[in-house]
Amino acid sequence: MLKFAQLWRTTTARLTAIFIVLFVVFSILLLGFVAYQSSIQLQAQQTAAIDREVELLQRIDTRQGIRGILYAVSRLAGQPGPGIYYLGDGEGLQVAGNVSTFPTEVLQNPGTYSFNYARDQAFEGDQAQGFAVVRSVLLDSGLHLVVGRDVVERRGFTAIIFQAFLLAVVGILVFSVIAGLITARRVLRRIDTINATSAKIMTGNLSERIPVTRRNDEFDSLATNLNAMLDRIEGLMQGLKEVTDNVAHDLKTPLTRLRTQAEAALRETDDSPAQRAALETTLSESDRLIRTFNALLMIARAEAGAPSGAFADVDVSAVAADVAELYEPAAEEQGITLTTAIAPGVTLWANRELIGQALVNLIENALKYAAPRDGEKGQIVVSVAADKGRVLVSVGDNGPGIPEADRERVKERWVRLEKSRTEAGSGLGLSLVSAVARLHKGAFRVEDNAPGVRAVIDLPAAP
Amino acid sequence: MKILLIEDDREAASYLIQALDEAGHVTHHASDGETGYAMASSMDYDVLIIDRMLPRRDGLSIIESLRAEANKTPVLILSALGEVDDRVTGLRAGGDDYLAKPYAFTELLARIEVLARRSSPSEAATTYEVADLSLDRLSRKVERGGEQILLQPREFRLLEYLMKNAGKVVTRTMLLENVWDYHFDPQTNVIDVHMSRLRGKIDKGHANPLLHTIRGAGYMIRA
Repeated sequence: MLKFAQLWRTTTARLTAIFIVLFVVFSILLLGFVAYQSSIQLQAQQTAAIDREVELLQRIDTRQGIRGILYAVSRLAGQPGPGIYYLGDGEGLQVAGNVSTFPTEVLQNPGTYSFNYARDQAFEGDQAQGFAVVRSVLLDSGLHLVVGRDVVERRGFTAIIFQAFLLAVVGILVFSVIAGLITARRVLRRIDTINATSAKIMTGNLSERIPVTRRNDEFDSLATNLNAMLDRIEGLMQGLKEVTDNVAHDLKTPLTRLRTQAEAALRETDDSPAQRAALETTLSESDRLIRTFNALLMIARAEAGAPSGAFADVDVSAVAADVAELYEPAAEEQGITLTTAIAPGVTLWANRELIGQALVNLIENALKYAAPRDGEKGQIVVSVAADKGRVLVSVGDNGPGIPEADRERVKERWVRLEKSRTEAGSGLGLSLVSAVARLHKGAFRVEDNAPGVRAVIDLPAAP
Repeated sequence: MKILLIEDDREAASYLIQALDEAGHVTHHASDGETGYAMASSMDYDVLIIDRMLPRRDGLSIIESLRAEANKTPVLILSALGEVDDRVTGLRAGGDDYLAKPYAFTELLARIEVLARRSSPSEAATTYEVADLSLDRLSRKVERGGEQILLQPREFRLLEYLMKNAGKVVTRTMLLENVWDYHFDPQTNVIDVHMSRLRGKIDKGHANPLLHTIRGAGYMIRA
């Protein structure tokens, strides 16, 4: 059923359906026209035949009198066929013919009529009721003559046309549905291949390519173009990686020298406290610089969705428990209670280091704000929950919170709210969390914890 | 300890050699990959320090070749690339430890001293002993002066790592890497708090402390 629903959503299936409907409507119109035209033709022929007979009989009546007409009508009435004949007086007294009862109007007023009649006398048929078209005339001899045709034949003809039409429509329906399904499936298969490849590429495997068949149709040209685009993207990504690697190398080499020299100088300086202090500051500043730089590189790589060999099945519950356990004593020392609400065994296809780093950033952030105030103890809750295909990793605190207007802004690079500008930190912590969430096809958001802030990494369970 | 340093940045190398010399180690230096590989495969060293990006021959390919020749000399990879992936590929190529540039010399020193110890046979020991402190890796029992000390699983692993490297400086990053298996460096004093808890359990009430803080470097357990 699902397969059918999927098929129905394809353009081919819909187009096929529209064409089937159009074709059927057109066939109905065409066949209806043919049937109508044929029946008119047939009616005209019958009417002409009736007229000829009436004329002939009138002539016989005029020339040979009652005996002649009696004989002629009896002869005609005795023949098998759809002919209806009546000869009698105006009151319904029949002298010859094969049908005796007519509506009174037919006998009294000359003219052309059509009506239902009991088909008992005229000829055998499978139906008791017949439909007659008759012409009634008053003869010179004073007798009433009625000549007509049972039109069952004509109706039979219409029925045949209608049957043929039905058969044709059913055939068209069956064939076009089959043809449509086959085409749709073929198209769907090609598109499925393209989709599957794109999905693989989006998970980071940039070396995948869409298969190109030898049919050289529009799908192949689409695939060729997409592949060319992928080549270009892969090249760009490779370029980006090379650039960041080179920048890393070119910047870190002088930093390493700087650090080594400061360290060496520190070893040799024994006496002057001012010099020692200056060198120690140089060291700690260069460390800070490198931390910021590393964070930037990490964000750049995570945001580029860098394909990662470091992705694996990660027990997020265990990671969260580890990190919480790592920070629990440090929190305790600051007068903050760090507790956990971790659902066991939540696993994800993820980069363990990055998930851990993101959690560390969130906890360190929370530690800055959840400081005890007014005698109330600071609270931090680390939680992991799996819910409807989502994995929610969150860190909540009971600090002063973030005004709603600023909640989106904190995720941006370098943004530090006024309050925290005096605190240590690069302002990159949350943007790294945000980049990590995006790398795992999820989102990072900051919610009101009433009081405080709940930072949530919302990830799809199966990316 | 006899060390081979393969590093193309001569200035950084000369500082490093000098510092290693001051720490009492003999260091040979190669400034490109080919020379470095030739030296590493022909002479016997306790530790190799190999930069990842080298002229003429890539650091990782040197390690791969050495390992293919069954040369088991411990290797510390130095790299300007500090990404998780880079670390993974470095260790997969046969490196024993990975240090991102720029690094503190104390960090490098602590790591090579721990690395060099690896070749010693005590690796497989089931009990570690430092003075009157003993740790049984199988029964997971810790005793000091005959009295059992109850430790949390993580505290046990901390002590285990420290005692395995007794007499050697162990840095905070090394603890985080080996006990918690994470490679980021925490900005706060998380490790210190864990250490002071551990210290409270093993040193409290004893006249001679075993767990020492080495200023500017890390921790050490010794008698």
